[in-house]
Amino acid sequence: MKGAILKIENSIEKTIIEFLKKGLDKKLFDVVLIPVKVPAGDSYAWVLVQDKALLEDANPLPPVMLVQGAKALSSITRRGKSNKKIAAIMRPCEIRASIELSKLQQIDLENICLISIDCPGALPLKDYLEDTKKGIDTFKKVIKEWGNESVRPICQMCDKSVGLSIQSDLHIGIFGAKNNEIYLIPSSQKGKSILEEIGIPAEESMDNWEKKTKEFVETRKKNRKKIQSTLSEKVMGLDNLLETFSNCINCHNCQSVCPICYCRQCYFESEKMKLSSDDYLIRAESKGILRFLPDTLLFHLGRMTHMSLSCVGCGACEDACPMSIKVAQIFSIVGDRSQKVFNYIPGKSIEESLPLKVYEEDEFHDVEKP
Amino acid sequence: MKDDFEPTIIGFLCRWCSYAGADLAGTSRLQYPPSMLPIRVMCSSRVDPVFIITAFLRGADAVLVAGCHPGDCHYIEGNYYTRRRFACLRKIFETLGMESDRIRLSWISASEGPRFAQVVTDYTDKIKKLGPNPAKKEIFL
Ligand code: SF4
Ligand code: SF4
Ligand code: SF4
Ligand code: FES
Repeated sequence: MKGAILKIENSIEKTIIEFLKKGLDKKLFDVVLIPVKVPAGDSYAWVLVQDKALLEDANPLPPVMLVQGAKALSSITRRGKSNKKIAAIMRPCEIRASIELSKLQQIDLENICLISIDCPGALPLKDYLEDTKKGIDTFKKVIKEWGNESVRPICQMCDKSVGLSIQSDLHIGIFGAKNNEIYLIPSSQKGKSILEEIGIPAEESMDNWEKKTKEFVETRKKNRKKIQSTLSEKVMGLDNLLETFSNCINCHNCQSVCPICYCRQCYFESEKMKLSSDDYLIRAESKGILRFLPDTLLFHLGRMTHMSLSCVGCGACEDACPMSIKVAQIFSIVGDRSQKVFNYIPGKSIEESLPLKVYEEDEFHDVEKP
Repeated sequence: MKDDFEPTIIGFLCRWCSYAGADLAGTSRLQYPPSMLPIRVMCSSRVDPVFIITAFLRGADAVLVAGCHPGDCHYIEGNYYTRRRFACLRKIFETLGMESDRIRLSWISASEGPRFAQVVTDYTDKIKKLGPNPAKKEIFL
């Protein structure tokens, strides 16, 4: 595999920003979609920047994930393609969600250049907000020590955070960036020509980086299995499930921040779920008692059946849960298992069809009961 | 105690095949247990897995989805999608340790009255052995 090498000047972030500035200069893209530190506080927001000078404050790798990047991209292009070329710099799970959303017709990728970056993880929002100064320092460590345990549990078990496990146009390799350098690896024609136009064609061997990222992914895979099997034991069975979600206050935050839950009208917030008092009274009568709000578990199980095949394990739901329910970790277990049924990896490739949009005539006979 | 347990099975039957099959079983005066509550849908693919989960969590002892045989769907390909969704739902049930035997997918054509009676009989027996759906008693659902 071939890529280009950039010498780090000042910091990884600054080096990436300089690269983006060159792209803007040469009109390889017209705008950049990137997180920027909000001046008023230690928070981050997605911005579309056209002005090179304003790129200065951007941070391609913020310590936390606030709005999931795919959501930002979808709000720009859901009504059709962008008329200007946008370079979107995102974490791998945000890129993968973008690819899923493009298959779901919620993002038009035509004029978009997806730039992914090796991701060391993100800090849990709650931890970060408690002490943002400390959070920023912690994150500096996180970028240096890959595998640091201050990142969100879902990040600690993420096996697609580094390397070329995703299909962006251009990937920025910072994993194990030694000798003060980072790598730019194109995975599409778009990415390739950007590097050529800037005058840094992909000619250097990336074998070493590739080998190291692969090793890291292997340890992550093991970690994922371990965390999932411990958690599985705690959530399996109706009693355990109820226990797991017993603190859920039905706020639906997990649904509204999820990039994959794009429905303008969620079934679980629709008129269909507003039932008559008779319905509740009959249920209360037959059980002797009925909890309110009811149907919490229905919401979670229903959401799983709707979107787990495309769940990219980004952790946005878990970050947004006010009750500290391990939503993303649980969804990742269900996601992994259901995706495996179709050998499908969400966000891996734009060509691969969504499993529920295609079929074969001769398949899955094991679920048909004579 | 288990002997007098009469299961309630919710049956989502497609209008063109399985519901007609049920009709035929009725008009042919075939004997089968009165355990199934049929719900007519236009096609088996109309059944959002959420309907199945709703029935299950509300205490149905089992849920049957029945449609035309593959290749015979009135809408040409609806039941192929049904099968994929069902495979996914089953996996979710298994993953979360919920009894996946309580959900079932079968193909029953309009002319298969006896087969309809057989499916209901067999499934009722099976659920009888399994006992009542534990969700019935969960008050904090
Ligand atoms: S839970 Fe289902 S209906 Fe609601 S937003 Fe997600 S996919 Fe759509
Ligand atoms: S369910 Fe959670 S982890 Fe999965 S895509 Fe949605 S927000 Fe991300
Ligand atoms: S965000 Fe948390 S509390 Fe709110 S609905 Fe989701 S799981 Fe329940
Ligand atoms: S009409 Fe019977 S399964 Fe589609």
